[in-house]
Amino acid sequence: MDLLSIILWPLKWAVELILVGWHSLLSALGMPPADGLTWVLSIVGLVLVVRALLIPLFVKQIKNQRRMMEVAPQLKKIQDKYKGKKDQFSREAMSRETMELYKKTGTNPLGSCLPLLVQMPIFFALFSVLNDSQTGKSGVGPLNEALSEQFGSSSLFDLAPLHMSFSSAMNAAGGPQVGVMIVAAIMVVLMTASQFITQLQIVSKNISDETKASPMFKQQRILLYILPFVFLFSGFAFPLGVMFYWLVSNIWTMVQQFIIIRNMPMPGTEAAKEREERLARKGKLKPADGAAGDTLVIEEKKPAQRQQPVGKNRAKKAGAPKAQAPTGPAAPKSGGTAPTTPAPKAAPAAPTSPAAGSKPDASKAPKNNGK
Amino acid sequence: MTGAVVDASEGADAMHSILLLPRNAAVAALIAYRTVISPLYGDVCRYYPSCSAYAMHAIAQHGAVIGSGLALRRISRCHPWAAGGVDDAPLKKNFKYSVTPRGFVVTARHRKG
Repeated sequence: MDLLSIILWPLKWAVELILVGWHSLLSALGMPPADGLTWVLSIVGLVLVVRALLIPLFVKQIKNQRRMMEVAPQLKKIQDKYKGKKDQFSREAMSRETMELYKKTGTNPLGSCLPLLVQMPIFFALFSVLNDSQTGKSGVGPLNEALSEQFGSSSLFDLAPLHMSFSSAMNAAGGPQVGVMIVAAIMVVLMTASQFITQLQIVSKNISDETKASPMFKQQRILLYILPFVFLFSGFAFPLGVMFYWLVSNIWTMVQQFIIIRNMPMPGTEAAKEREERLARKGKLKPADGAAGDTLVIEEKKPAQRQQPVGKNRAKKAGAPKAQAPTGPAAPKSGGTAPTTPAPKAAPAAPTSPAAGSKPDASKAPKNNGK
Repeated sequence: MTGAVVDASEGADAMHSILLLPRNAAVAALIAYRTVISPLYGDVCRYYPSCSAYAMHAIAQHGAVIGSGLALRRISRCHPWAAGGVDDAPLKKNFKYSVTPRGFVVTARHRKG
């Protein structure tokens, strides 16, 4: 046994256990054990288990991202300090200060490479399980020789055995197996599409404008166009079972991302705005969070000049329209600058407002309301 | 007389270059990783410098074996529950080489001449 297989041994064992566990569960539920579909669904089960175990990591990361809003002012300060300084030393100093801030406030938005590192050996473990089953070797643990053989030769869509890949189908002994090649090609297209949609969701909606301007983001953007080629290559070389695992995992990511973007978007992004609008439409949004931003209570400007005292007779004349002011033409004028200003706030302001607005109506109003 | 001294130092240089070979090979591998693979998944490290930058620095300072050990310790420290922050590789006390801007280690004399 070489070093790599020693490291992979426990993972392979776990992967086999989960696969066989799902397989026997599905068989117990009445599915034919030797059927391709049963094994394909076992792979789906494997994805569900692995990704469900990784959920806590994502939840933690998202919580941190939400808390980023609290440190946003301090972050802005650092960014302003190094604005326009593009030399290496300034960049480095800026990264250092940013990291210090994250540490101090406990809001590190980066998830470390662990989620990636965990997925990779599982991937390789599944790869070697399928590879072994191709050559008729039994697994290291729960997957015995008979099950291994069954697993490797069970087929996807009744066409393509899970252990085959595009290249092995092309170089098959009895001439190229077109069915397998078509299935593999479809898988590559589906994987590229799901990856693309996931990335596009994040890029188009869940990224703030500041991040969009950063060089790191541009790098990520390039990745979006490189990945299809990675899939093309892997679709050529990897067994269909591994590809299928990858595909289901991608779909999981896509759905997870969709739910996250919809329900807990990064503050200050398009997705966050959409969510607020949705909630406001349903009337669920507390006025404290959403409305506070755009409700400006306009303080009525006090006239610079002291108002002339009005004689008793004139006061009687002007009194009627003034009381009417909130519903009359004066109200829209004072509310015009802030449409969301509630009416009761405008009402007390009206009597102190300069009479200019209501005076022209003084002749009209008594006609309607005076008697 | 002076010629012999120069020869001796040149011999020492050559020996040092051989001694530095493993760590320079490791640095070259890390540079390749950082330009090809690292950009694929973007910025994820919770520390500054990132784990691969830390590894490069540690290997340049302490050599391939001790440096790799330090780097492994760092990677095991870098998980979602770690606080993160600034975490530089420890400097070697009497570091007698010099490091080029790309990260390769050369003998100090090489730099001067």
